[in-house]
Amino acid sequence: MRLTIIGAGPGGYVAALRAAHLGAQVTVLERDEVGGTCLNWGCIPTKTLIASVEAFERVKHAGDFGIDISGTVTYNLEKIRDRKNKVVATQVKGIKALFKSAGVDLIPSRAELLSKDVVRAVLPDGTTRDIMSDRVIIATGSRPAGLPDLNADGDVVMTSDDALKLAKVPRSILIIGAGVIGCEFAFIYRSLGADVTVVETASRPLTTEDEDISAIIEREMKKTKIKLLTGVSFQSMTKTAEGVAKVRLSDDREIPTDTILLSIGRKLNSGNLGLDLLGIATGKRGEIVVNDRMETTVKGIFAIGDVTGGTMLAHVASHQGLAAAENALGGHTIMDPSIIPAGIFTSPEIGSVGLREHQARERKVGIKVGRFPYRGLGKAHAMGEIAGFVKIIAEAGTDKVLGVHICGSHATDLVHEGALAIRTGTTASELGHMIHAHPTLAEGIMEAANDVHGEAIHVQRESR
Amino acid sequence: MNPDDIKYHREHAWVRVEGKRATIGITDHAQQQLGDIVYVDLPELETEVDADSELSEIESTKATSPVICPVSGSVVEINEDLADSPEIMNEDPYGNGWLAIIEMNDPSEVGDLMTRDEYEKFLKEEEEK
Repeated sequence: MRLTIIGAGPGGYVAALRAAHLGAQVTVLERDEVGGTCLNWGCIPTKTLIASVEAFERVKHAGDFGIDISGTVTYNLEKIRDRKNKVVATQVKGIKALFKSAGVDLIPSRAELLSKDVVRAVLPDGTTRDIMSDRVIIATGSRPAGLPDLNADGDVVMTSDDALKLAKVPRSILIIGAGVIGCEFAFIYRSLGADVTVVETASRPLTTEDEDISAIIEREMKKTKIKLLTGVSFQSMTKTAEGVAKVRLSDDREIPTDTILLSIGRKLNSGNLGLDLLGIATGKRGEIVVNDRMETTVKGIFAIGDVTGGTMLAHVASHQGLAAAENALGGHTIMDPSIIPAGIFTSPEIGSVGLREHQARERKVGIKVGRFPYRGLGKAHAMGEIAGFVKIIAEAGTDKVLGVHICGSHATDLVHEGALAIRTGTTASELGHMIHAHPTLAEGIMEAANDVHGEAIHVQRESR
Repeated sequence: MNPDDIKYHREHAWVRVEGKRATIGITDHAQQQLGDIVYVDLPELETEVDADSELSEIESTKATSPVICPVSGSVVEINEDLADSPEIMNEDPYGNGWLAIIEMNDPSEVGDLMTRDEYEKFLKEEEEK
């Protein structure tokens, strides 16, 4: 079986490896670098920067831990950048090595679908190669979206791709959009010393999260002096002297800023592929329509990841990639998108899975909510990380865990206990009665689960 | 320790009145109960606040607690020093640790508040409950 995969992001490369392991002859076309957005302009480089920022914060607050440091503590942007590039390069090399060992053929090229069984590779020098395929997986991903009146020039007006290059730390930055990317960069730039303003059209940041999560992030932004303006949108920008811009908002407020970061969402890379030619159906945003086996409306052609317009997360793309690879080779794997844990690397970080409280209310699901603050955990005090909470939403009748929302240190790791609970139909009572090791942050999950029934231990109660 | 030139609210806030202006803070009892204060969520200037409603929130190493405003009015000054040094609220709750100044809508509300002696008696009763 000859399988051609267009795009080597976290969807495409995982699909390639799975298919190769199952015995397919796999060709991957990638116009940029393997690893896609996640590895080159997303998850991995941002987390690498965050690791540098955290180290910086740690050293700045060393005194709190009884460590005396003499001299000025400062960061070296060039070295931070070098470290980031090195981490990315190592991962890129790793994927290439995996490809090699699995016998996956990688062609650095753009791709066009000529017919159901021919994919044309357009190499950087303009030459083409037609690749005969029995099955195709489209995994072309997405790119940062722009605004009609704001041209990203990579200097004054940046997208997340530009911001990650970290050419400089501006004196001030205005971030348009308080989604995941906007919020993560807000904390990164603030920690590096920039004046940060975040503008959001909605009434709260991180609108896809539970409202309590948004509230605590608003609070943490306030603590670090990140200015958050909600309910306003970008109107226009004028460049003034010396590369300084002035931004006008929908409430007529004018904000001078050195740089602007556009983080208003992502556009799907479904154009110029030849989808129409083959009759592959797309939706309003250009998303490729797929069924739960990840097959498009044309038999034998599959699509996965951001380009299918679902939840734009690397791990979702990877799972879709596994399903598509298996199904392309005759399997019957169903992609279940109902339980997707997600991490947001703000400071403190966020881990969430399952139903948000407002979603439960909209769906008229009867729920009980348990909460537990990090400051009630001995481990959090020992670590000096007391901001945050664990919130557990359980169904009122069955006591089954429906949602777990954590904001606090290591939340992105802790959330998986919640994901497992939801996936296995575990009740809040079962979760709360499971012994959790002391002293750990995971005790917060146990306490929050017990709080669903008003039985948390380490909380002060009104004595009456 | 508790001064007698100020008035006290049962939610452990205090008020020092000068004309229509009321300086608000939390009592020594409140700061002791909270423990080390790590963050004070300062109210925005010009915020309108009702008596007995939340003016601010304080985070300590133990808990997050609201500060209840004893009088109604508009926030005309806030103690910016608390933004970087919230611990002054622990160190000097009746002095440098003040929270905000309210321009009162109805200065007669102050009459509903407790004197030092009444507050101390109130604290004792609370303790015995």
